[in-house]
Amino acid sequence: MSFLSPGFFLFFPVVALVWFLLSGTARRLWLLCASWWFLLCAGPEHLLSLLAATAVTYLGARFLDRFEGGRRKAVLGILLAALFGTLFLFKYLAFALGLLERVLTAAGLAFSSPALDLLLPAGLSFYLFMAAGYLIDVYRRDRPAETSFLDLALFLSCFPYLISGPIGRAGSLLPQFRRPAPFRWESFRRGLLRFLWGAFKKLVIADRLGILVSTVYAAPASFGRLQVMAAAVAFSVQIYCDFSAYSDMALGCAEVMGFQLMENFRTPYFSRSIGEFWRRWHISLSSWFRDYLYIPLGGSRKGRRRKYLNILIVFAVSGLWHGAALSFVVWGLLNGLYQVVGGVTQKSRDRIRHSLGLADDAPLTAVLQMALTFLLSTVAWVFFKGGSFTHSLSIFRAMLTGPWLTRPFSAWGLDLPELVVATLAVVLLLAVDLYSVHRGSPRQKFFTLPRPVRWVLSLALLLTVLIFGVYGTGYDPQDFIYFKF
Amino acid sequence: MRTSKWREPIFALLFLILAAGLIGVLSLAFRPVRTDYGAVWGPYLAEPEDSLDYLYLGSSYAYCDVDPTAVYDQSGLTGYVLAGPEQTLSQTYWYLREALETQTPSLVVLEGSALAFQEYQSYTQVNVGYMPFGLNRLGAVFTAAEPELRTGLLFPLYFYHSRWKELTAGEAASALLPTGTDAFKGFTPVSGVFEQIADGPFTRQPQPQAVYEENLSWLTRIAALCEKQGVAFALVLHPTYSQLPADTRTQIAADATALGVPFFDWTEESLSIGIRPTSHYYDPGHLNQEGAAIFSAWLGDFFTEELSLSPKHQSAENSAAWQNVV
Repeated sequence: MSFLSPGFFLFFPVVALVWFLLSGTARRLWLLCASWWFLLCAGPEHLLSLLAATAVTYLGARFLDRFEGGRRKAVLGILLAALFGTLFLFKYLAFALGLLERVLTAAGLAFSSPALDLLLPAGLSFYLFMAAGYLIDVYRRDRPAETSFLDLALFLSCFPYLISGPIGRAGSLLPQFRRPAPFRWESFRRGLLRFLWGAFKKLVIADRLGILVSTVYAAPASFGRLQVMAAAVAFSVQIYCDFSAYSDMALGCAEVMGFQLMENFRTPYFSRSIGEFWRRWHISLSSWFRDYLYIPLGGSRKGRRRKYLNILIVFAVSGLWHGAALSFVVWGLLNGLYQVVGGVTQKSRDRIRHSLGLADDAPLTAVLQMALTFLLSTVAWVFFKGGSFTHSLSIFRAMLTGPWLTRPFSAWGLDLPELVVATLAVVLLLAVDLYSVHRGSPRQKFFTLPRPVRWVLSLALLLTVLIFGVYGTGYDPQDFIYFKF
Repeated sequence: MRTSKWREPIFALLFLILAAGLIGVLSLAFRPVRTDYGAVWGPYLAEPEDSLDYLYLGSSYAYCDVDPTAVYDQSGLTGYVLAGPEQTLSQTYWYLREALETQTPSLVVLEGSALAFQEYQSYTQVNVGYMPFGLNRLGAVFTAAEPELRTGLLFPLYFYHSRWKELTAGEAASALLPTGTDAFKGFTPVSGVFEQIADGPFTRQPQPQAVYEENLSWLTRIAALCEKQGVAFALVLHPTYSQLPADTRTQIAADATALGVPFFDWTEESLSIGIRPTSHYYDPGHLNQEGAAIFSAWLGDFFTEELSLSPKHQSAENSAAWQNVV
């Protein structure tokens, strides 16, 4: 069930209402059943996978708590192998076998990988990472093994973040389930506004730009360089709006029900380096990798070379997490490489900047760094969206060769009125993001406005989404991009 | 200062009402304006209350063949054709329920070719989507519409919001402003002559028995509703060159008799009614406007002579309005 499906608009009010009417265990049980139902709508096999992961995580943590020393480590290893083995089976086995086939064929050995058609359970990458994080926390004695199956199951299953995150932590979420906040009008309003803003980003911007991107990327050679470059920039905006929209809706739903989830995006395109970008993009995943992979690998504690190697490992794994394809690995490695090169050239870049008379915190410096960061991330996104390594290269080729413009506007999927709407919507998004960078939360400010002004603005946003949104008849609605991860 | 605990719920409710109202207005504004080929609810509801002697229900056979102004001219009976393209009997049931909210006719006539329709035909979006908002529309959405159309039928912007590029202020205004009565009273005249009529009559394929049984169950509900409301009900098949097989019509006759519904099969009565097949058919199934005029005048006589229907008292204003459109 998607946040923007008609079913969800019946599901959510009922779930939230009953959630506030019940109390104690019944309340949590209700939310757990509702969350399982939410997943069941995608098919029973999706729920079975979650139930199995929940059982393994709950029993595994209890079991883990009984051991010390090496045996404790071994048990954790077995549990993580079970979780990540499942992820490998469903998500990466076909890719790995395909890769093996290519390698063996290149070596002159005959091997034909079997055609696997395994269904990827919805939300698997997200809840398995939550489960793994929880088990590692228990292993490290950062928290005790959860004794309540209900609470642990709710932690892994709660519907706002079940399908596409944010990847929550037990330390933050479990206490909120045990002592749920009472209904507050302020949270209710703030949550709904956040949900609406997410719907705006998804339906008005992301899915509209998605039409352009898909059209151009499907046959990049038949478009001019400027159009292919514009499509690459459009994808950068599309994926930000798509994924941050999902996070906004997830956080909005949770806020209505009185939960605080981890912020997943902090205006990442205003970052001044790729490192900063990754501290502001998909924060719940980045921080997961930092805490459970980068730091255990040694982080920056074992010298610069090891630090750079660790960065490359983390970003290669992050690329793989996003998809089982070589292009995702390249995308991840490229992001890692940007940071390594950035670290290696830091001093020389500083010298050049100072020789140009640009202070570290000068506005022009910041703008140039942001522009460069956006450019670098846009180049990396080409691999992400390209689908395959070779097609990604053909997109770059189309940016560098051929005519500058080849077709009229309408040929790239969006006619002039659609482009005008997309541009205005992006300008509004930019204004809101700029406000949040310089003045703090726009929502905070919004709720200090007089009620009539709030109503006019809210209704205007609602009607904008309903009229200019890409949904229903006349459009080809698109899933959230991160659903497939 | 202590604020009332009802303050926020009341504001929330007001906001919800305001949002719903605006969405409702937008839904109407974006929906294409239609006043013929079915989709005639606005003009129907503009008719003076309790002013109609009969209602004519069915599909395109009804709205192409029956001209209520010609019936009036012949008999003085006021009537209205409430029919949509390929309208199924399930949709007709909800149409009748809605229609009887504002009118208490003496007679309801159903053109029954929909007994040979599939569960869903091609025009649900028009037939259900133009019904007035209310319980009957909800009933139609959930029992007479394809599941995949329900979102758009409940929330019309789903179907029509992509028209933002083409919608003009004039069209939006005419969609929002109150509709006047329809001079054609639900009739949609079509011009032209079907040249290959000599190749006919053509036979329509009946539906499988299970589909027919389902249609029959809706006919039963329509008949029961008429009986409950004290309205006479008749099932008819129009003179047509797109004919149901004789054994299907025999089965319909038997089933209508079992339900206690008067059934009149005029399928092969073209000539006796005065319809010349070579000049009065628009296509094998539908009469052109000349054919409709002849058939409607004949219907006027049939209503008064065979069904003993007599005109109800009309206000001077409404009589004048009918005189004007004849």
